[in-house]
Amino acid sequence: MSIRSKIAFLAGSTALKLTKKFKKTGGTSYPGKLAYKIDPNILKDLSKNMETIIVTGTNGKTLTTALSVRVLQETGRTIITNPSGSNMVQGIISTLLEHHKEIKHGSNPLAVLEVDEANVAKIAQLLKPKYFILTNIFRDQLDRYGEIYTTYDKITDGIKLVPNATVLANGDSPIFSRINFPNSIKYFGFNHSNSKSKIKAPNNTDGILSPSDDSVLYYNFITYANLGKFFSITDDFKRPELKYFVTKVSKLKPTFSDFLIDKEKFHIPIGGLYNIYNALAAYSIGKEYGIESSKIGSVLNKDSRIFGRQEVININGKQVTIVLIKNPVGTNSVIDMMSTDDKPFDLITLLNANYADGIDTSWIFDAEFEKLHKTKLKQIIIGGQRYKDLDVRLKFAGFKNTIIEKDFEQLIDLISNSKTKHFYIAATYTAMLDIRKVLNQKGFVKESF
Amino acid sequence: MLKKYKLNFAHLYGDLMNTYGDWGNILALKYYASKIGVDINSELISLGDEFNSNKYDFVLFGGGQDYEETIVAKDLPNKAKALIKYIENNGPLLAVCGGFQLLGHYMVMADGTKVNGISAMDHYTENLHFKGLIKNKEKRLIGNITIKNPVTGEEYHGFENHQGRTFLGKNEIPLGQVLEGFGNNGEDISEGVIYKNVFGSYFHGPILTRNGNLAKRILTTALNKKYPKEDWESKLKSIPTESF
Repeated sequence: MSIRSKIAFLAGSTALKLTKKFKKTGGTSYPGKLAYKIDPNILKDLSKNMETIIVTGTNGKTLTTALSVRVLQETGRTIITNPSGSNMVQGIISTLLEHHKEIKHGSNPLAVLEVDEANVAKIAQLLKPKYFILTNIFRDQLDRYGEIYTTYDKITDGIKLVPNATVLANGDSPIFSRINFPNSIKYFGFNHSNSKSKIKAPNNTDGILSPSDDSVLYYNFITYANLGKFFSITDDFKRPELKYFVTKVSKLKPTFSDFLIDKEKFHIPIGGLYNIYNALAAYSIGKEYGIESSKIGSVLNKDSRIFGRQEVININGKQVTIVLIKNPVGTNSVIDMMSTDDKPFDLITLLNANYADGIDTSWIFDAEFEKLHKTKLKQIIIGGQRYKDLDVRLKFAGFKNTIIEKDFEQLIDLISNSKTKHFYIAATYTAMLDIRKVLNQKGFVKESF
Repeated sequence: MLKKYKLNFAHLYGDLMNTYGDWGNILALKYYASKIGVDINSELISLGDEFNSNKYDFVLFGGGQDYEETIVAKDLPNKAKALIKYIENNGPLLAVCGGFQLLGHYMVMADGTKVNGISAMDHYTENLHFKGLIKNKEKRLIGNITIKNPVTGEEYHGFENHQGRTFLGKNEIPLGQVLEGFGNNGEDISEGVIYKNVFGSYFHGPILTRNGNLAKRILTTALNKKYPKEDWESKLKSIPTESF
């Protein structure tokens, strides 16, 4: 350690102790920020003797990281990970400062880090990861990064810096086959159908051009969004050979999914096809580290708490499922999940337009709220800063008699006094934080997230 | 028996120029049309498809990402003649962002690549590095925007996010003057364009979902052209306008 990095380390550690002492909740990036200011290369020193796996992509990286951590714990090695939200350079420095002793004295430490797409290059350069796990790239917060290809370039710039690293990528996503890396690349995806159909993705789908001849891609099947077994009309660009794959989807329900990976049965205690991809990514990294399929299966089945983002709470006997929505693909997946629900439900949907939500709300018109007509939905309740946009969106989707409730306290009373037993709250990020705060005050959830 | 009215829409490159909720514009028109007993049939016209200038009563040409826009620009010359004929015959058309740019002479992307439009209209688009810029140089123009049409007095609200700087030309008037935000180029307070029955804009939003007044105006134009005997304006007047 240089003198500079020693000072950075001391300053960061002290700041960490102080913030822990005076603030109850963790996850602050301040200690990392301070240490980074003193020595931008501190990450290199902090990660000495540590192996790293970087998880990135626009959707699903938090859950994929959490699941990979649980799976890789089966190796018996010391596993370090960062809390969701602390996925930029400073947050990761904070994480490594916090786990400094484990990294130094632990057994062959391995860090599984969720990394923000725009921070991949910076972090990869310093940590030289052994694996990159790429979940997907969907349109997300365009006002922040620009376009899906810009996001893709940011990620690949980072990957190219570490040519010895292995890339584990979602093979069903056409974007991950666009360029040849110097790296070894292995794909995971779906092989659950023998369909020979030749279909195109719906009009509203992003990322459907073949880089070989700029024609619109065809698919044998689509799992969701632009994911599936794709091929170009001239067949010179197509879904790559998969190393790890789902062979059958047996049952999809809002609260669980059953499927087979290479003939092994898997059960995960969460709904949504997209979560099978997250589980598959975790399975793939587990296999790379030599863990048996049956062991991975029991880990994924065991603990429903790691699937935290989709949380079910009880309000006066009403079952309320809270889900995050932030872009068209995510919202469509959530609606697909609701359509697997056998019980009647009310939907509360909350739209904010703060920086963390994305300040451009136009994406709600690309999400297919029309599909809600095919579910057991009884009543829609709308709130959040941009309730008007949502109200018009749902009106245009043909829903009448929606209720607007801007006050979250009243909203919770409304749930509490409702005849419906079953609710979904679909909210953008800051709207979710806001409603959780009120839920916390009323004692319905423990922490404010 | 109730008389059935029907409009045919063409969604130009709807599978590629679809980045900013442009589909919402069709949903908005469908919504108001359904309230006055008019059916809408919307058709995708994409790469390699022919555009028939006599077939459609309204055309939507949305915005896309740079990559998709360059692909569209290569295909567009095949449809240029028919599109120009449609526009010159007073066909109603809404063009947003990239669609707006490609109807003009050219557009320069952020990396300096110049993409030719079809010169159906006289505007042209420079990029954020353009030497002629005085205000807001080197900056993406992002944020909420409000404009006012000086002729009708209507106000339109939306969200803009573009690096391109569009300058209007001969026979073109702006859709509105900027009250808040940047507009076409951040220089001359113009936003969007009106040329014959073509409406162009940088608004995401999408523009017609938040501006029912403009949606009704476009719908009235299309209906008057196809069914001139009916009083569409007063029919639409009785429907509440979503405007916020």
